[in-house]
Amino acid sequence: MADIFTFFSIVLGGLLVWAALSPFETLGWWAGWFGDQMYQDNLPSDGLVRAVRPNADRYILFLSGVGRVSGETFSRREQGFLQRLAQALPQAVIIDDIFPYSVNNLSLTGQPFFARLWRWALRCKLDGPALAGYLINVRNIWQVLVSVDRRYGPIYNQAMAEVLLHSLLRYHYDPASNAPVYLIGYSGAGQMAVGAVTYLREWIRGPIYVISLGGIFGSDPGVLAANRIYHLYGDRDKAHKLSAIAPGRWSIFPTSEWNRARRQGLIRFIKMGPMGHTGVGGYLDNKTQLPDGTIYLDKTVQVVADIVMQPMAVA
Amino acid sequence: MIETLKLPSLWQTIQHALGLDQTIFTAVQQAPEGLWLAGIIVCLAGLSEALGQSIVLLINRVRFKRFVLALMIATISHFVGYLLWTTTVWLVGGYLFERTQPWLAIASVVGLAYAPQLLAFFTLTPFIGNPFSILLSLWSLLAIVVALRAGLGLETWQAIVTSGLGWLLIQTWKRTVGRPVYALGRWLQRRAAGVPLEFTSHDVSRLRRRPYWLENLESWKSQRPLIDRHQLVARLSQSGLLLVEQILPETNRAPSQGSLEAHLPKRKP
Repeated sequence: MADIFTFFSIVLGGLLVWAALSPFETLGWWAGWFGDQMYQDNLPSDGLVRAVRPNADRYILFLSGVGRVSGETFSRREQGFLQRLAQALPQAVIIDDIFPYSVNNLSLTGQPFFARLWRWALRCKLDGPALAGYLINVRNIWQVLVSVDRRYGPIYNQAMAEVLLHSLLRYHYDPASNAPVYLIGYSGAGQMAVGAVTYLREWIRGPIYVISLGGIFGSDPGVLAANRIYHLYGDRDKAHKLSAIAPGRWSIFPTSEWNRARRQGLIRFIKMGPMGHTGVGGYLDNKTQLPDGTIYLDKTVQVVADIVMQPMAVA
Repeated sequence: MIETLKLPSLWQTIQHALGLDQTIFTAVQQAPEGLWLAGIIVCLAGLSEALGQSIVLLINRVRFKRFVLALMIATISHFVGYLLWTTTVWLVGGYLFERTQPWLAIASVVGLAYAPQLLAFFTLTPFIGNPFSILLSLWSLLAIVVALRAGLGLETWQAIVTSGLGWLLIQTWKRTVGRPVYALGRWLQRRAAGVPLEFTSHDVSRLRRRPYWLENLESWKSQRPLIDRHQLVARLSQSGLLLVEQILPETNRAPSQGSLEAHLPKRKP
């Protein structure tokens, strides 16, 4: 019994030390310890996603949930969603080769010291044991908390805005144009999307919209900087309710950014029916159907496409 | 309960001190190795606190080697603060409440009261670090009251008055005769950092940077890798290997890039 207690104490202590060390990635980058390089995964286009389109008049940046290790998704559901979205939106450039949990888009598997550890964790995530794979999620959750924290958030979110600007320029976005940019933040990336808006706004002229797909985010200044935030949520999605741990999201703080944005009508809530957060029964499930027979994935693609296609009400 | 004159290991001593066990504070005064142990705890606590407050160094872009040096200076400065704190407690306890303990005995007990500060490093933890720092301040306050009660044989109110007056004495010293010493400390800190420490943690939201790759956009563009099929085909056609029109579908044609740098907005200050 004592051994089990000691084991759990060590694990808990290790997690706490890891969490306390996590801001050094952001702060060290700011201090110039890791150089000024911006990384990219150089993923080829599949003809739909990551393709430059000549008549593109809107850009969509997809930021994935905390399970990722790089700009490349291994989730077939995510791939399917993005391809379907690209088919539904022929005028839009869809960019997904972004790793939103790194200040310079450096994938975990490309890190100089810990690449082997993350490759092992990725193998575990794909082939089991799944528990070891959750190391990736834990690491990325610490980065979400870094983005939420008022001490580190302004630095992390500035870095994320740079990553997003870099991605837009890679896909030939003209910052001087009025082409709108849509940031889809799935799960924990909701915070990364919202956090970056304040700073991305300083670089580009077009409007910026955030589409939070079951997104978890705090009361960040970005909620006021965005032209509009669309929060998509399902009845069975418990994860998106984690946003409530941020005090600024509580109604007892009426002057918080979140409550001010709500009063200004900048936040739209879109109910997605009985959808869950992820996996089977999640927003991107291509088998489960809504009571009216619509497949979950179809519904999600339709809702997102409708948001992207609607006239820009808020300039 | 701890037997007097016999201290447990460093780890266990810290555990007892964190649990505000009064007997450990008595034991540390009487045990021969008590003073050393207290000194180690003060140094480790100083390092932990310096790490916890290192955000200021990093937002001012201190280099790694300088960062380590600045941490060491901060730890030494912390130790000097401990000596001062011990002296004020010794003075107040002696003159106000007539507790004539040797200075070294007070130093042991005050040093052990620094144990909660060993956790100051965790104030760095994102999201929960700030509330934890408040908890840690209260914890440290309780630790010093318990330590003085046990170490000087004071009543709780006397311990509170002693620590309060001790704090007041330090503040007075800082602003009067101790001024040059503090100025020297700050000078050392700046020298160690190697850059002007012009920003504090309150300035973080107004800090901006313009990335190197964006400053050199033309060079960046020329090195930009092939990102889509269009570019690949265009480059191959330039080298005479392919004809663009034969392969490139209309929808994949890249837009003009002419206006990119010209129209790239300068960042708002």
